[in-house]
Amino acid sequence: MTETPAPGNKPAEEPKELTAGPFGEFLREHGIASTRLPDSTGVETVLVEGKDLEAALKRLRNSQETELNYLVAVSGVEQADSFESVYHLWSYTNLKELVVKVRVAKSAVPEGKLPVVPSLANFWPAANWHERESYDLMGIRYSGHPYLRRILNPWDWEGHPLRRDYKQPVDSLNDKNPHSMR
Amino acid sequence: MSVELSSPDLKTDEMIINMGPQHPATHGVLRLILTLDGEICKHVEPVLGHLHRAQEWQGQNRTWFQYQALIDRVDYLSGMYTSWAMARAAEQIDGLVVPKRAEYLRVILSEMNRITSHLLWLGTYLIDLGAMFGFPFYPFREREKLFDLFEEVAGQRMMFNYIRIGGVLRNPPFGWFDKLKRFTDEFPDRIDEYEAIVTENPIFLKRTKGVGILKKETAMAYGVTGPCIRASGIPLDLRKTKPYSVYPELDFKVQTMDGDGDTWARYMCRIREMRESNEIIRQAIEKIPGGTTEELRKLLGTTGPEKDESKDLDPSFLLMAKKQNAGLRVKAGEGFAAVESPRGTIGCYVISNGSDKAYRFKWRNPSFCNLSVLPELLVGAPIADIMAIFGSIDVILPDVDR
Amino acid sequence: MTSSAVPYNLNEIGKFFLLSGVWLGIIFGAVWAACWAVGMLVPQLILNAYPNDPCALNVANAIRLLTPLVGVMVFIPINAMYMVLAERRGLALFTVRKGPNRVGPDGFLQTAADAVKLLFKENINPHGGDVLMFTLAPIIFFAPSVFGAIPLLAAVTSNHDLFKIVNLPTGIFYVLAMSSIPVVGIVMGGWASNNKYSLVGGLRSAAQAISYEIPLVLAIITTCFLVGSLDVVNIAQMQKGTDNLASFGFLNWNFFGAGAIPHYLDLLMQGKLEGAQVVTSAFWSLALAFCCILLCGIYLTGACAEINRIPFDLPEAESELVSGYNTEYSGIRFAIFFLAEFTNLFIVSTVAVVMWFGGGATPFPGFLDANTFASIATPFNQALAQAGLPPLMDGQTMSGAFWAIFKTYALVYFAILVRGTLPRFRIDQLLDFGWKKLIPLSLILLLAVTYIRELV
Repeated sequence: MTETPAPGNKPAEEPKELTAGPFGEFLREHGIASTRLPDSTGVETVLVEGKDLEAALKRLRNSQETELNYLVAVSGVEQADSFESVYHLWSYTNLKELVVKVRVAKSAVPEGKLPVVPSLANFWPAANWHERESYDLMGIRYSGHPYLRRILNPWDWEGHPLRRDYKQPVDSLNDKNPHSMR
Repeated sequence: MSVELSSPDLKTDEMIINMGPQHPATHGVLRLILTLDGEICKHVEPVLGHLHRAQEWQGQNRTWFQYQALIDRVDYLSGMYTSWAMARAAEQIDGLVVPKRAEYLRVILSEMNRITSHLLWLGTYLIDLGAMFGFPFYPFREREKLFDLFEEVAGQRMMFNYIRIGGVLRNPPFGWFDKLKRFTDEFPDRIDEYEAIVTENPIFLKRTKGVGILKKETAMAYGVTGPCIRASGIPLDLRKTKPYSVYPELDFKVQTMDGDGDTWARYMCRIREMRESNEIIRQAIEKIPGGTTEELRKLLGTTGPEKDESKDLDPSFLLMAKKQNAGLRVKAGEGFAAVESPRGTIGCYVISNGSDKAYRFKWRNPSFCNLSVLPELLVGAPIADIMAIFGSIDVILPDVDR
Repeated sequence: MTSSAVPYNLNEIGKFFLLSGVWLGIIFGAVWAACWAVGMLVPQLILNAYPNDPCALNVANAIRLLTPLVGVMVFIPINAMYMVLAERRGLALFTVRKGPNRVGPDGFLQTAADAVKLLFKENINPHGGDVLMFTLAPIIFFAPSVFGAIPLLAAVTSNHDLFKIVNLPTGIFYVLAMSSIPVVGIVMGGWASNNKYSLVGGLRSAAQAISYEIPLVLAIITTCFLVGSLDVVNIAQMQKGTDNLASFGFLNWNFFGAGAIPHYLDLLMQGKLEGAQVVTSAFWSLALAFCCILLCGIYLTGACAEINRIPFDLPEAESELVSGYNTEYSGIRFAIFFLAEFTNLFIVSTVAVVMWFGGGATPFPGFLDANTFASIATPFNQALAQAGLPPLMDGQTMSGAFWAIFKTYALVYFAILVRGTLPRFRIDQLLDFGWKKLIPLSLILLLAVTYIRELV
């Protein structure tokens, strides 16, 4: 199985000259810094700092202008040099869409620790299980999550299976069965 | 004389019950750790993952062409929608325009799939409520007819692999549209039959009215979608609110229920949706470019339904916008596409790097998100209502655990 | 996709009735043959062998006394075998399926095969369970319902000489007393299983049995009160109608007001009523009939709850409690539970038949009555008499047994239909329904019947 290179990390694809879109403007009005990323198939994509995430999403969710009150999914993504937590925001009432990303550079993650992203679960229950799943499979720790426990894998599983450097323990699927066929 | 019910001498213990993973009413392998006080539920912890098959990992380690065949298994009762969500995501990234006829075929077959899924839900829900033997088999009668039609067009009864990136697999065989038309004619009567048994049944009403009330605000906060949230009064239906495919050309209504959003509302919402889906199929059969397969053949003057890729063809009669072979590639980029499945918004977040494999797959499964509201609904309900509420959410465990 | 103007399972319905007929014939024949052999043939052979021997006479009499017991012993397993098959095939009819139709000709031996399978299965004792209580529970569940049913034998055979002995002056009370014991078995089974589902099921069963026993007993008491007897034979005989009222057939049944309507019609035809009496008497007769129909309804509802049938099958509640009190049972012990459930269904139906539907009386005078059966029996009896053997059957008993079984199975099929239609109650709704609706209603009916019967 060949390793596929991460797409988002070629320097040419990180143009600095992208101007802020409507949601970027909205966030700046409320004092939250954001960086515009290349659109995700026509949907505005912004990058925010981890510490601003909760404030930004609260604004976007509650404000009359935006009403992005439908958290579709929280996805953990491993890029070549960073971990991303991706939030897809929709609206129950209008057609607006937004993708919010939080990046944690791999170099900023201490050895043997997990990258940390603030949790939304306390004020937005929809994020609860998605964050648990992202923690389980991608190994992103959501700080402040009320019950950050593995959700799809068994509770005593080791490692985070969707990471690129994950090696599956040979016997783990079979409860350390010596007669395992694997 | 008054009786102290909560006197300190009267000690009652809470009981912890492991409901599942082997339990007839958890629809597969969900495990609920229930803390019961007598028969009243005090705390619920759902434990998922007994059916985890690493669908996302497989998506990243198999080629697009291989993975297409696997994704019907994500939600095995509505395989068309999982295929469609992935196909849409890939098409968005690739900038493909799917031919009209293919889009219509997608609509027809996926609405058929919605009916089969709701029919199965209807039968099993009555089982959850305790009608173990009588009613549940009636919906299966109609479901079998639809499965026969699926088999004729896709070669499979449940795992279709029919919707492909860029189009659909093939034209239906001769006579297929007539059979489907006959089905749409008789199906409303069948729904009347079900309703005659169920809708006004006093025991059914007692068991469902006012049980498992899902408030609008709770539903929105938890990201609940599909019939569950429409029964709570929010008209979220991607077919209307974020129209895709050819749904704007079809005339149908989003079925919402007024009032509380209890289990009865969710039942009623699904019943109405089946009627609506039937109408959509009926319209789509009439509007499909090229008409039925027989008419298309006459139009083209070719010898068979598969020979419709000649050069001078009206592009809307095509079925595929992309060559299907083992080297199927999708341009680099990322995209999120969602379709309205019988259970709600099924979405697919794809990052592609231009190779024959996706770089990252993430499924947004309606069952997973709808199930997360379950602990909220179950606290304070007696054991019997746990089944009534859990059944009414209509989760599919492979869809939760993928 | 064929047009479904014709019911496409007509064929299946035919097969179902054929199967039922054959099975009922076997039940009827086997029980009768066993009773005949024990009650008539063996005693006569003994007496023939040792004429004028007082000891032989005593032995013959003792054997004759065993007849009801033998009858029940033969009847219950065969009957349960048929009932399980009938339930499965009947439900299949309601649900556009075919049902078991592979073992033996058209599924004829399905339940026999199942019984053999259950007998040979391992008896599993749950870990941490109380083995003694776990073993005793099915027996306590099963035995009272069997022995409680014995007085009914006299009622359905029109007090035949052989079955007279099991008749009690307070027969119906004995039946009721016995029928309240099985719940102990369920609670024991639920407790001894060391399983939380079973425990909840057992406790539910106790709550349910207590709440539904009251309306059930009140309904029966009211009817006894109306009829003026506690003797099941007496109650059954009365519903044949006395003297000239017999020609009214099924209107004599307690279901239609314990003879009030025939009485009124008789007076009317003889011209003994005059003026306003014609209307008032008619009103009170109909009121009494209405009360009796309600009583029967209460009884059937309560009985459904007593024997844990859908819609009152909360102790089992397969989709909630994974079949409740018998979750942990396997093998022969499960078979006994299974057997007892169906036997109970049969017994409560028989009680309803005896109390309200005329016992062994024919619904239409002259239709398949004692004379018809006597004419069938005569050639057999003559042949046996030539061989020096006792007569096989007499018309009176045959007719009574035939109609009693026929009506009982009609009620059983009704229970199957209910099972195929209704969902299950929730426990609080069930108790609400019992305590707040059925008990007040049955008390009101008791008062109403007391009053009305003086006016009729």
